[in-house]
Amino acid sequence: MKTCRLIIFTAVLTIALCLSFGNMAHAAKPVVLGCPLSTAFLYGWDAERGFKLAVEEINASGGVKVAGQKRPFKVEVIDTRDLEPGVPVSEALLAVEKLILDKKADFILGGPVRSEAALAAMPLLSKYKKVSILTTGVLTPKYHALVAKQYDKFKYCFRIHGEAKNLVGEMFANFTELKEKHGFNNLFIIAQDVSHARGAAKVMNSVATKKGWNVTGVEIYPTGATDFSIGLLKAKKTKSEIINIWMDMPESAILLKQWYEMRIPALPFGSTLAAAEQPGFWKATGGKGEFTLCNVVNAGNAPSNATPWTMKFYNAYAKKWGVEPEGLGTSSSYMAVYVLRDAIERAGSLDPDKVVAELEKTDIMGVYGRLRFDPKSHQVIPATDPQEGAVGSILQWQAGKRVVVYPKSIATGSIQLPPWMKK
Amino acid sequence: MQILIYGTINSVALALFALGFAMVYGVSRLPNFAHGALYVLSGFITWTLINSLGLNYLISIVLAMIATGIIGALIYQFVLIRIRGMEISEIMASYAMGLAILEGLRWGGFKGMTYTLPAFIEGSTSIAGVSVDYQRLLVVGIGAAVVALLWLFTRYTRIGLALRGMAQDERAAMMLGIDSDLMAVVAMGFGSMLAALAAICLLPLGNIVVEAGYNVLILAIAVCIVGGLGSWVGAVLSAFLIGFAQILTVVYLGAHFQMVVALLAIILTLILKPSGLFGRQKELEERV
Repeated sequence: MKTCRLIIFTAVLTIALCLSFGNMAHAAKPVVLGCPLSTAFLYGWDAERGFKLAVEEINASGGVKVAGQKRPFKVEVIDTRDLEPGVPVSEALLAVEKLILDKKADFILGGPVRSEAALAAMPLLSKYKKVSILTTGVLTPKYHALVAKQYDKFKYCFRIHGEAKNLVGEMFANFTELKEKHGFNNLFIIAQDVSHARGAAKVMNSVATKKGWNVTGVEIYPTGATDFSIGLLKAKKTKSEIINIWMDMPESAILLKQWYEMRIPALPFGSTLAAAEQPGFWKATGGKGEFTLCNVVNAGNAPSNATPWTMKFYNAYAKKWGVEPEGLGTSSSYMAVYVLRDAIERAGSLDPDKVVAELEKTDIMGVYGRLRFDPKSHQVIPATDPQEGAVGSILQWQAGKRVVVYPKSIATGSIQLPPWMKK
Repeated sequence: MQILIYGTINSVALALFALGFAMVYGVSRLPNFAHGALYVLSGFITWTLINSLGLNYLISIVLAMIATGIIGALIYQFVLIRIRGMEISEIMASYAMGLAILEGLRWGGFKGMTYTLPAFIEGSTSIAGVSVDYQRLLVVGIGAAVVALLWLFTRYTRIGLALRGMAQDERAAMMLGIDSDLMAVVAMGFGSMLAALAAICLLPLGNIVVEAGYNVLILAIAVCIVGGLGSWVGAVLSAFLIGFAQILTVVYLGAHFQMVVALLAIILTLILKPSGLFGRQKELEERV
């Protein structure tokens, strides 16, 4: 009887010890990832889900090794609301400061999401020496230009997703193809009245003119506009063949529905076209969004086989959240946690200067290709081949599916024209 | 021609936004800052009835309008009635109710761009070479019908006459046996139903998003201030004034200035004629 009790006691003790050792990483003080995100909007919640998935995977494998000790990651999210009309920058800054001072964030990941707010947060990150990796929204080239210009001040700021200039280049690669294939030459630009979109529209206009395109018009719509008929009629009247859209507000769905209802003979080609990025777009528009093209910034935000990790991430995300990766901040947010873990482990410390030095040396194959930062500007290095750098992703809605049409190295289909545009 | 067609559509949409707000203010002198929230709420109620409960579209519309009307009436009965006559408190309380509704919807998971209502009629046509979809044409028809029915309702029904009586002179109406509080509740209910009607007509053109509540409120206030607070006729005329001004701005100046029109209209009206085109509030002060 005594022997039996002893065996049971030993077994229980062994199991308890195993469990406690197994959970040691979780018992250790967590490394806090402060995430200032506009959570009510696509570019906020997709990033949050990306972070949480990566953190769950990393914590399940023991966490991040800091100075020989395994520690778990912990995600703290504060709503910045900076994607709302009026761009309340002050609220976003408060969120960042609260994450640093109140939530004791060791690192800042994600946002602020709106370019204006992210630029305004840079001095704050310098003041508190907080390493930040932007993963969603913010496309303005000013961000990494500022890092390059004032490196000592802004060296804590990184961006792991593509930026506007890169997106412009990707779109022109497609425009050139459309020109060669269908003889397109007239481009109409529609943008939202926010920093990155206005800037991008200006760049598009200038680059298009230099490349021999006829820019037939530029319309800037205020955030919250609900009628785009006049702009669309202008595009039709000027015989535009492509409507380049820079708009992340929800009302962009109205624009696309109007385009379809009015049978405007110009291909809607968007960037940060949030409404069309979501997998639910097809159902929401009753199929009226067919043929819409949009740049989802990085691979992994739409289905492709950019790297062996792409579909693994894609499926894991879909399994955990019950929806496919949705917006432009999904794969980059997911990868930011892995990249940070890699840098922390190499640095062997949470010291911001040491982590910055290691982030600059980052070179890992991720969901959207080889991830490296430019050591001067801290911008992720883009490429059209995933073996060379971070690849983008342009998708087109075709028969209810998001088909990747660019870059060619990962494309799963080619651009289709709506029936009313076929000659 | 495009200015005429889209100016009319835009104007009718603005009138639909504003009629409910004007009715509530006209009868009970209550600036209902929850108007935009009720607009969005009715859209989500309709969406839920169709997609979660699988109800018929028409039945969902009717139920959503009734539900929104009841919610509006309850807001008045349980919150606003206690501070009636205290204008600043009324504004703050109704705005707080609106915020609570909108943030509650967001908290409840109604965020994103995939909530939509189906169009009543699919397809488009061309009028004098200008493409326009049937849903927008239907909005014009419904808007005209609403104005006509509202006119008949306030002239040939007991409740309508009582509401008019309240709007003209509350004390005199009370002397004639009209229950002032009851009529205010009825007005809030009808006003909320009008917000729901506007939502049901206009939301199929795009998607249902919480942020729309703030825009609708601003536009409704702009229309009512320019038209004259409390004047339904003024609201309709002002909707056409602002609606066409917006379209002309988009055509000749650029879409960028579209939202400025409504705000500029408020400022100019408050400077030049604070009572608005047909409003009677402050008329005496202006004469003095």
